[in-house]
Amino acid sequence: MHRLLSKDFLSGVMFIAFGLTALWFGRNLAPGTTVRMGPGYVPHMLAYIMLVLGAIISVVALYSGGEMVERPKWRPITLVTIGIVAFALLFERTGMLPALIALILIASLGGEEFKITEVIANMVVLTILCIIVFKLGLGMNISVIEGVW
Amino acid sequence: MSILGNLVLGLQVALSVQNLLYALLGCMVGTLIGVLPGIGPVATIAMLLPITFHLPPTAALIMLAGIYYGAQYGGSTTSILVNLPGEASSVVTCLDGYQMARNGRAGAALSISALGSFFAGTVGTIIIVIFAEPLTAMAQKFGPADYCSLMALGLVAAIVLASGSVLKAIGMVFLGLLFGLVGTDVNTGAQRFTFDIPELSDGIDFAPIAMGLFGIAEIVGNLERRMSRSGAIKVSSLWPTREEVRRAWPAVLRGTALGSILGVLPGGGPTLGAFSAYTLEKKLSRTPGQFGKGAVEGVAAPESANNAAAQTSFIPMLTLGIPSNAVMALMVGAMIIQGIQPGPEVMTKKPDLFWGMIVSMWVGNLMLVIINLPMIGMWVKLLTVPYRFLAPAILLFCCIGAYSLQNSTFHVVQVAIFGVLGYIFVRLGCEGAPFLLGLVLGPQMEEYFRRAMLLSRGDPAVFIQRPISLGLLITTAVLLLLMALPSIKKAREEAFQEEDG
Repeated sequence: MHRLLSKDFLSGVMFIAFGLTALWFGRNLAPGTTVRMGPGYVPHMLAYIMLVLGAIISVVALYSGGEMVERPKWRPITLVTIGIVAFALLFERTGMLPALIALILIASLGGEEFKITEVIANMVVLTILCIIVFKLGLGMNISVIEGVW
Repeated sequence: MSILGNLVLGLQVALSVQNLLYALLGCMVGTLIGVLPGIGPVATIAMLLPITFHLPPTAALIMLAGIYYGAQYGGSTTSILVNLPGEASSVVTCLDGYQMARNGRAGAALSISALGSFFAGTVGTIIIVIFAEPLTAMAQKFGPADYCSLMALGLVAAIVLASGSVLKAIGMVFLGLLFGLVGTDVNTGAQRFTFDIPELSDGIDFAPIAMGLFGIAEIVGNLERRMSRSGAIKVSSLWPTREEVRRAWPAVLRGTALGSILGVLPGGGPTLGAFSAYTLEKKLSRTPGQFGKGAVEGVAAPESANNAAAQTSFIPMLTLGIPSNAVMALMVGAMIIQGIQPGPEVMTKKPDLFWGMIVSMWVGNLMLVIINLPMIGMWVKLLTVPYRFLAPAILLFCCIGAYSLQNSTFHVVQVAIFGVLGYIFVRLGCEGAPFLLGLVLGPQMEEYFRRAMLLSRGDPAVFIQRPISLGLLITTAVLLLLMALPSIKKAREEAFQEEDG
């Protein structure tokens, strides 16, 4: 069982998964001939290479074992991802400021220490910095609060 | 044009007020991230890629280059003063640099490392100037088959010199190539892997991938670890003693030479240069026992080597369009964003950009000595900024930068997706650099491959009939075979173990 959780075995599985995904979504791309290659020739070739490589890596890993995957800490990666997605959802609808507040608040929760005063101070500094750099400095067309400024 | 004429052109470009300012900005940012542990040049350049879109091409590349070699200077400062390497390439500097600082020679260690770096940077720039023209001339004789083989060699060499499992690195290269295919096929107009998302029809943008894989994954990794900071050592006099200078300068020369060579190799670069230079000094020294206890050579050699390598690693990128490491892959990405196809044509078609950038590197190196030595106190203060302030700031810049590429929040979501993918890569011990190289070279490689096969009427023998291509492929095969030899495999593992330790 533990060999199925080694870094190498899982990497092999990942490569196989990518190979299969490429084959499935590329199934309608015409491979063409070696003289006149169609859009599917190189994708198919790469997908098969991924499958073979993935198989070799995982089989070798089954026999040799290798380093185990460390238990992931879910909090930072989850909160950072949610923060970015929240930013993406809010940015055009509400403007930069609410998106910024959401991102910084959620991302700060992903760290080990969370002090609300520090987080607010951080927001204020970054808001000013972003307005100066992006809106005034680079002249980007972004609104701070949608419909207001 | 003569070398002198080229240099004059380069000086004119590099010394324009605008470019001087961007070089200075790049050097400042580079030093800053070099000093701050937990954020390296790869993540920073990835983050700033979208912003360069708003700048003129020359200014953008000058700034990014400044970040890269500026980080080499900044990284040594923290290695010496707080025993905390700001960059991977400064890890060895900690060994003797921090010991020198504890012996009260912090100022001397800092100035030797800065001046050694400056010397190495100057030599590196001269080497680029000398080799740029002949290499470019050679590259212009290449046919599609030759290019395809050259890229294969570049990719394989990058794998061999990278640490970690070779098989997994090869897998990452192919995965990168696969991701490079997304978008509209140039020859037929067919949509490949676009999932009917209009934003993907031009291909996956390079910047969100780089930001996700390197920026986000790095931030998450740092959030998982608790970062500890120790107090900095006070700097007294910056002047080294005569004895220290006498011992340092041969080490600087050797470090520069070794770093320059290792920088050109694909997969080489500053980190490899620094480690090799340190090992060489230790072997050559009459008093190897002093190493690790504050030997001047142990600071001078790796610091010169990493800077020389940072400079010469531009050579394959500028002349052949083949990036040798992750930072160079990002530079290629920056050029593509600006609409410049990297390769031998850059020098002939855009001589002002080419020579301007090279000369600006020397100017930048000069700036860095000034930025680093007298202003050392300011940089050390920055170390006290806790990471919990930095992480959200970096994230925010990534998000706004990604959005600004095409004013689309889809790009921001892409950053998140590739952040998760990058995190998985880190967890599984798969390296991001080979993936990035594959991604950058993928579209071109397919193009050359298809063109070569069309010209040869579908006969794959074309790759071994052309002498240049054959030579490159033989070199590639030899490299791969060498990797399979047990003795070499063992030596490689040992070399990288030393690096990890």
